[in-house]
Formats: sequence, C-alpha cells, structure tokens
Amino acid sequence: MLLASIFLPLLGGACLPLFRFRSRRARSLYTGLITLLTSCLVWAQILGGARPEIRLLQMTDVLSIVFRMDRLSVVFAGLIAFLWPIAVLYAHEYMAHEERESSFFAWYTMSYGVTLAVACAENYFTLYVFYELLTLVTMPLVLHKKDARSVHAARKYLYYSITGAALGFIGLIFLLTYGRVDFLPGGTLTPEAVSGLEGLLRLVFVLSFVGFGTKAALFPMHAWLPMASVAPTPVTALLHAVAVVKAGAFAVIRLIDYSFGTWLLEGTWAQTVCLLLASFTIVYGSVMAVREQHLKRRLAYSTVSNLSYILMGAALMTNAGLTGALTHLVFHALMKITLFYCAGAILVRTNREYVQEMRGLARVMPFTCAVFTFASLALTGVPPLLGFASKWNLATAAIDSGLIAGYVGAGALIVSAVLTAVYLLSVVVPMYARPLEGTLPAEKCDPGLPMKLSLGVLCLAMLVMSFSAANVTEWLSHIL
Amino acid sequence: MKQLLLPLLVFLPMGGAILSYVAGRRSERARDALVALVCAVCLAMAGWGLLCTRRGETLRFAWEGFCGLGLHFSMEGFRAIYSLIACFMWLCTSLFSREYFLHHHSRSRYHLFSLLTMGATIGVFLAEDFYTLFIFFEIMSLSSYCLVAHEEDEKAMRAAQTYLAVAVGGGMVTLMGLFLLYRLTGTLSYDGLFAACARVENRSALYVAGALTCVGFAAKAGAFPLHIWLPKAHPVAPAPASALLSGILTKTGVFGLIAVSCSVFGHNAAWGNILLAFAMITMFLGALLALFSIDLKRTLACSSMSQIGFILFGVAVQALLSEGDGMAVYGTVMHMINHSLIKLALFMTAGAVYMKAHSLDLNEIRGYGRGKPALHFAFLMGAVGLAGVPLFNGFVSKSLLHEALLEYVAERTLLGEGTVLCRAVEWLFLTTGGLTAAYMTKLYVAIFWQKNLKSARQAEYDRLSKSYATPLSKAVLTVSAAALPVLGLFPSVFLQGAAQGAAGFFRSEGVSHAISYFSSENLLGAAESLSIAAVVYFAVVRGLLMKNGVYLNRWPAWLDLENLVYRPLVCRLIPGALDLVSRALGNLVETACRLMRPLAAGLARALDRAPEAILRAVRPLAVFAARLFDSLTDTVALALKRTLFRHEKKPLEASVGTRLTYALGCLLNSLVALANHTIFAHHPVKTDFTIVLAAGRDEMDSSIRRVAHSVSFGLLLTCIGLFLAFAYLILWR
Repeated sequence: MLLASIFLPLLGGACLPLFRFRSRRARSLYTGLITLLTSCLVWAQILGGARPEIRLLQMTDVLSIVFRMDRLSVVFAGLIAFLWPIAVLYAHEYMAHEERESSFFAWYTMSYGVTLAVACAENYFTLYVFYELLTLVTMPLVLHKKDARSVHAARKYLYYSITGAALGFIGLIFLLTYGRVDFLPGGTLTPEAVSGLEGLLRLVFVLSFVGFGTKAALFPMHAWLPMASVAPTPVTALLHAVAVVKAGAFAVIRLIDYSFGTWLLEGTWAQTVCLLLASFTIVYGSVMAVREQHLKRRLAYSTVSNLSYILMGAALMTNAGLTGALTHLVFHALMKITLFYCAGAILVRTNREYVQEMRGLARVMPFTCAVFTFASLALTGVPPLLGFASKWNLATAAIDSGLIAGYVGAGALIVSAVLTAVYLLSVVVPMYARPLEGTLPAEKCDPGLPMKLSLGVLCLAMLVMSFSAANVTEWLSHIL
Repeated sequence: MKQLLLPLLVFLPMGGAILSYVAGRRSERARDALVALVCAVCLAMAGWGLLCTRRGETLRFAWEGFCGLGLHFSMEGFRAIYSLIACFMWLCTSLFSREYFLHHHSRSRYHLFSLLTMGATIGVFLAEDFYTLFIFFEIMSLSSYCLVAHEEDEKAMRAAQTYLAVAVGGGMVTLMGLFLLYRLTGTLSYDGLFAACARVENRSALYVAGALTCVGFAAKAGAFPLHIWLPKAHPVAPAPASALLSGILTKTGVFGLIAVSCSVFGHNAAWGNILLAFAMITMFLGALLALFSIDLKRTLACSSMSQIGFILFGVAVQALLSEGDGMAVYGTVMHMINHSLIKLALFMTAGAVYMKAHSLDLNEIRGYGRGKPALHFAFLMGAVGLAGVPLFNGFVSKSLLHEALLEYVAERTLLGEGTVLCRAVEWLFLTTGGLTAAYMTKLYVAIFWQKNLKSARQAEYDRLSKSYATPLSKAVLTVSAAALPVLGLFPSVFLQGAAQGAAGFFRSEGVSHAISYFSSENLLGAAESLSIAAVVYFAVVRGLLMKNGVYLNRWPAWLDLENLVYRPLVCRLIPGALDLVSRALGNLVETACRLMRPLAAGLARALDRAPEAILRAVRPLAVFAARLFDSLTDTVALALKRTLFRHEKKPLEASVGTRLTYALGCLLNSLVALANHTIFAHHPVKTDFTIVLAAGRDEMDSSIRRVAHSVSFGLLLTCIGLFLAFAYLILWR
C-alpha cells in the first residue's frame, strides 16, 4: 500500500503526457483522481495503524531502498496528503491562464510521489536518493515559463540543491563508515564506535546540516528560494512553501534525531553554529521581506525566515524544541500556502503583483482579502490563532534549553515577530484603508469556485488547528 | 453555573460582534439594538458576578489546552469591578454612538471591532494568568487599531500606525519577558508566580524578566517614554472610541503593570523607585502637554496620560511601602475607577461638541456650550472631578494617594532616612494636581463661558441649544456624569467598598481603620493644589497662552518625541543598518561565487594549458641541450686541438672509402691474415687492405673527377652518343 501510494503519482504523472485529453476538465479530473486516490491511500495507512517496512531494492548489504512510515513520517506525509488535493483544485483554475498544462501537471503529480518517498524513507540512503530526485522533478516546474528569468531561477535552484545534496552526501559516507544508515530515534552512532572522532563527526554534521538546510533555505544557501517565485503560484505555494522546503527541514530533523543523535551534538560548538545560523536566517529573512516590494517574493522571504524557526527548533535538540519545530512545520504550511494562494488569486484576477498595487483591493476582492488578512494575523502570531501556539512552543523551548544561543534564538523570534507584523500588515492595512489603485472593473472580481473552495478549506483547517493547538502539540511531543 | 459567567462575559461580545456585523447589512436599527442588548446583558452579568463575589467567593473557569497552556479566568473583587465598569462604559458609548455615527461611513465595522475589543478587554481583566492576559491583550490591541483608524484619513492612519507599532512592539517585548518568567518559575498564573518568584535565586534574571514584561503594559497605559501614541490616537479616533481608549484600554495596561508589580516584584524598593520616576515624568509631562494643547480631545488625551501617571504613582508607592500599603492600594483603585468614569463623561461631551461643531479647535468651538445645560453639567462634573475639587470624586482618590506618600515619608523618617526627595515628589504631585485644575479650567471657561470671537458662529451655536443632541444622547451624558458627584459625596460607600474588594488583587490587607476623607490635611492639600491652579491659570494660560483673546499653541512643533526620536530610529536608522547588513550578506554565497569564478576559470585554463606551456618553454632549452650534447665530442676535440694540442702534427687523414672498398679490404685482410699464419709465417704482411683500397678508391675518384672535368671526356661522351644513335638507326629502321 505504501509503495502504491508512492508510485501511483509517479507513474500517473509520467503517463499523463501520453494521453490525449479532450478538455482541460478531463485532464484535471485525471490528475485530481490520482492525487485524491494517493491521499486516500496515505490517510488509510496513517489511520490504519499497521505500517510494515517495505524493502524495494537491496543494492549492497548496507545500501538499500526501504520505506517505512514511522511517527515522524506520518506528520509530513499526512500534511502533504492533506494539502496536495487542495493544491490540484486550486491549480485547475489557476493554470487556465498558463501554457503547457500537460507538462505542468505531469511534473506536479510526480513530485507528489517523490515527496511521499522522502517522507517515508526508512534510511539515509533512500532519503538521499529521493531528495536528489525531488530536485530534478521540481526543476521543470520552476522552469515552466521558459523565459530568461525562470531559466536563471531554475539554474540557480539546481546549483544550490545539488551543492546541498553533495554536502548531505558527506554525511551519508561518514554514517556508513561509523554507524548505520537506517533511522533510529536517538541516532545510530554509539559512543564506543566514534570515540576520538567526535570532533570530525561534528564537523560532518554541520556540513550535512547546511546541506539539507539548503532546501530549507538556510542562510547562506537561501538565495534560490526568492528567485524561484517566478514559478506559477501553485508551485510556489505548495512546493516552495511546503513540500520541497519542508523536505529540507524534515531531513534535518532526521539527521539530528535519527542519525547522528543528540548525545553527540548537545552543547557543542556544532549546535551553537546551527542555532546561530538559524537565528540569523530568521531575522535576515524577515528584514528582507520588509524590504521586498514584490508580494510573492516578500512571502518567499517570509518562508526563508519561518523555515529557520523549524530548523532552530530542531537544532535545540530537546523534545520541546522538536515539538515546536513540528508544530511550526505543520502550522506554517497551512498559513503560508493560504497566503500564497491569495497572492496568486490576486495575480490572476487583477494582474497585480507589487505591494503598492494592493491598495484598496478589499473593495473588489473582499473574500480573497479577508482570507489574506486572516492568514496574515495567524502568521504574525496573534493569539489565539495557530501561529501564536507554534511560536510560543518554539520560544519557550529555546529559553528552556538554557543555551546562550537559545536565548539569541528566542530574541530572534521576537524581533522576527515584530517584523512579520510589519511586512504583512503593511499589505493588509492599505487593502482596506486606502482608495483603490489604478482602474479595475467596479464589480467584484473574486476568483471562481475552485479557488474559493480551496481557500475556504484551508481557512477552516487553520481555525480547527487554532482551537486544537494544544492537542496537536501534545500529540507531536510523543514523536520520538 | 455561575462559572459560565466568565466565558460568557468574554465570548458573548465577540459573538455579538459578528452577529451585529451581519445584522448591520440588513438593518441599522436591528444592529444598534443588538449592540446595546449585548452590552446590557454583559452589564447585568458583570453585576451579578460582582454580587456573587461580594461574599468573598472567587469564580473560576478554565478552558484547558486552548492555545497550548489553556485559558484561565477568575473573578474576584477587582476584576469584577473592572468588568462592570467596562460593560458600563461600552453600554454608554454604544448608546451615544448611535447619534455620533449618524453621518459616518462604515458604522457596522465600528461596532464589529468595538464589541471585539470589549470581549478582549473583559478577557484581560478576567485573566487568571499572564498567558490568558497576553492573548486577550493582543486581540484587544489589534481590534482597537481598527477603532483608531476608523476615520481613514491621513492623520488617523498615521496615528493608528504609531498605535499599532507601539502596541505590537511593546507586546512582543512583554512576550519575551513572559518567556523568561516562565522559564524561571515554570508558571504564569499570578498566584503561582507570587509563590515561585520568592523562591527564585537568580534575582537579576527575575527582575529583567519582570521589567521586560512591563514594557508592553506600560506602552498600553501610556507611560513615558512609550506614551507617544496616546496624544495622537485619542484625538483622531471617533469620540466613543476615544472614551473607551482613554477610560478602559489604558487601564488594561495599568492592570498588567499592577499584576507584574504585585506578583513578581512585591515590595521591592528599587522597583518602586524606578516606577515612581517614570510615574512622575508621565504625570507631569502629560499635564504640561495638556496645558499647552488647544485641541479639546488632545487636551483630554494628554490629561489621560497625566492621570495614568497618578495611578502609576500609587502603584509605585505601594511597592515602596513595606507594610500598611492599604492607603496606596485604595488610592490607586479609586483613581482608576474615577478616571475611567470621568473620561467617559468628558470624551462623550467632546463627541457631542464635535458632532455639530465639526471641530475640536478651542478657538473654533469657543462658546459652543453656552445655553446647553446637559452638556454643561456633564463637562463640569468631569472637570471638577478631575481637578480634585473637594466633594467630587477626584479629590477622594488624589487625597488618598497623597496620604500614601505622606505615610511613606513617615516610614522613612522613622527609619532615619532622608526625606528631601520625597518632599520634592510631594511638591511635584501637588503642582501636577494644580496643572490639572488649570487645564480643565481653560477648557471649561473657553467652551462654556467665553463667547466665540466670530459672532455669526456664536449665533449659530446658540441656535443649536435645543437640537445639539438627541434625548438619548443627552440622557447618556447626564447619567454618566451624575455618577461622579455621587461617588465623591459618599466615598466610604461606593469607592471604599470597591477598593476593599480590590485589595486582594494587590495582596494587601487594605486599611483597617476608618478613613476620614475630608480631614484638614486633605483639604489643605486640595487648597494648595487649587491655589497653584489659580496662579497657573491666570499667569500662564491667560497671560502666556492667549493673545488678543485667541488661544495659542505655544508648544514647539518640533519637540515631539515620536518625530524626533522614534520615527527616525525605527523608519530610518534601524532599517538602514539592517538594509546595509542584509545587502552585504544577502548575496554572500553568490558574491563569493562571482569572485571565485574568474579565479577558478583562470586556474582551470592555466592547468589546462600547463603541459603545453611547459613544453613550449622547455623546447628551446632541450634543443640547445640536444645540440650541445650532439656536438659535445666534436667541440671538445676542437677545443683541445685549438688549445692544448695546437702544435701537434695533423695526422694523415685516413681515407674512409666506400662500403665496397671496406668489404673488399676486410676480405683481403682476412686472406692476408690467413696467409700470414700459413704461408708468410716468417714475414708476415702488415698492410691494412681496407685503407689501401680506400686510398686506391680515392685516387680513382679524384682521377675520375679530373677526367670528368676535362674536355676530352665531353668529346668521348659525344662520340658514344653519336655511336648509339647510329646503331639505333641501323638496327631498328
């Protein structure tokens, strides 16, 4: 069943260009069905309970492609299985304005399978293979427009990702040599096996951290993400706010808690370096978001900042930190995808993409603006919405860790929260308070039903999460 | 059952907010009725709650797990009183806003956010821990932002921006403080903190955490130096909103400060002194600003700031007094209540003025109040209450605050410590009281006694004396103002009762003995204040701030903390610095790559061509060496011949001959050798035939060459040619 859920979208996506669809509807129906079926399979496994290990390929006695769904996988797989069908629904309406839909939906569906494979990888090797593959299947999506800028963005994405994966590969080699590559809660390295080599392994860890951090847009490897927002909005929203970037964060969590183990790293310079890098990225991303005037790029910088919240939580190496990281992983996904969808809806309906052009938009797009406002408030961390819960978890964990770098991280969170308010409210407030910029049809131009539906479902999910934040946190604190 | 009061008080207005917005789209009357109904129901519930808590009972309600740590409400004396006041204020303003907003846009939006703010504000008061308090505090900040920005003009947007910036920034600092507190103590409930803070060993960390927590509350209360939003936001907001902002929202800040002060710091002298310093500055600066202002609502706003200073003064003195702090607590609570109610009446009066006069400038609205008894009554009650005239409510609370300070002086004297500073503080306190009376007199005289300088305008105002407000508005004004003298006349009934109930929140025993409110000391203090007021009014206001009967704003425009310090700092300096850093770091990798690329390319190219280049460089050398080695022997021989062996005879140059001669020579040599061994054994032949033959060949060679060079040879060849030609002709033809 697990294999089916991974390979169904892979094959379905690959076969999509072979069919000749009579209409857009038929193609969307096909894509939607495959996605929905996959999501059902994933959820069936999550709720079903028994999750056997599947050995797909045995390359050598230590290297093998194995899938298994553990509790951590459930978080990530469940999240994307929830979001992907909504994204396809949204993309159906959005992509009506773009060309080459077939190739788009083919790659889009295939990246679903690859992301699931990353989520369910049972060992470092499998994770690494599918992580590389994820770069390759998502690159055509960045390239979709095929103009000079998207080519540039795609190349940049490729270079950064491959460099990152190369750094991650170093980790693979060292784990092969000194430990095992499969994931175990608590790590596979043992004090006896690595005595005398701790310093070296910590260096290797930092390299791998930066390597997998590349996909999570960790400074200084973040530059690809804001550029990649030239891609169509469904891609920026789902892949560059959730699937790809969260795969990076997810890999980092695997690296820390399941491969190297926290005993090796806690309280050492390696942890300090990681925390400081993450803290810096948090503030840096927010500052850049305030500076940026292009709405989608502003949101992308906000993603840079928010992903480092997750990395910081993971780098705290405490259970509370991991809980905070996972809560933010889930919550941020919901909030950011909503924001991107709103930006996309505005872009499609009014062709506006700069922050100044959003003035007075609430008069013609009340629904979209209301959703945008709601998600903005949530992301800013206005209690009792969900952003507040995850930031609270992270900040208390950072302070509880008692590390100097932890205090720095909590400070960065606070500064970033203020900056978040600045860069989001400076979009939201003029939407309502200013006269409409430029000329637009006087009647309402909110998007059509599919977009509205997907936005509505996401809003509902956010509300539910806000009110069940405590239960979610409680559940996530038993991951390890 | 009673427990459900608490969540209902908080969430009923919030639900009502949404309902009223929906209703407002259908019918304005239904919406107004709904809003009033919600407020009235809440008032009734709060009243019931107060009755329940009168018997010392504490109502509690918890929503475990909400947003992480869960929501915890409780209601006892102080909170019940303040919930009641909040509901009362909202009821009054919502009734008043019916007429006020008659010609305004977005009325439904105002009510939506007003009720949301109401729920959040009650939530702040009912919170049992800092977590719950913070959640509602933030909701309140954001929803009240929409109240401030309601007019949506340039000024309102700017003021609202300042308000939001201060609220969000302050809120975040508070949040940081709460994180630290939580880390240090593991709890955020007031009682838990009070117990836990006593045990914390790391005192400095605790104080830092407490101070950080205070920042957001101080910002909301409008304490110096975070008061910048207050004099700007109040005047631009609609009058009902100003009344709420000034009367109750600032009190949430004070409430938070009290909670921190009482549960974290306790009776800490250093904390008390710091708070006292800020309170004194806030108190005096606010009064000064109010004195200079010629805008009705701005004056009232600055006055709010000043009165908040008085309240903080009470909190500070309470922290300074080690025991027997009852007087300070009573003074603080009473002044909070008084100020809320007074500002309600005053701001609604200002609203009533603005409704018809469409201006707040003192020179424009001068004389507006003449011949309007309800307006006159409301403003006068507020003014004398605020000024601290005996028999009115402000006098009661200010006297108690004054008395608390005197108690502190007595305590210091008892301990033998200096009291000079305390005397200075007392003097400043009384002066500020005087300033309060002076600026209220200024307003009162200008609006209700003086005639407008333009007689046409005055006539217009006089015509309005019947129709300046609807009966409902007038009733609301009168009721809100009528409460003030009642409180002032029977202080021991209402105010003292409230203060007794509230003392528990301050962890104070209260005052056990009977308080004589109208003692000679208190009357003397009031007289002192009022005489200062008279001097200030006649010397400063009539002398300095008026010219030819026109009120002047002599406060230098540039002297504005916001424009002078905060805006440049926040809008220019910090972003500029961050911008520089981010620009520098943003493309760190790429710049590095870009820098590295030519280097790497150069290196690669260099490595690529290295063998070739090396070869090219080496070749002449190699050729030279090869040539050298090639002719080395010759050269050596030549050199030897030219130098050492210069005089040696040249050896005969042996002729080399050809292969043939050599072969023949060798053959002959071997034959001779054979013969030497056999035939010529006794006389062996020693000739080397190769040489002989070679010499012979040379001989032949030279003779052939000679022959070839000779003419006869040519003739011979010609003959042979002729012969051959001849033979050809004969034989083949």
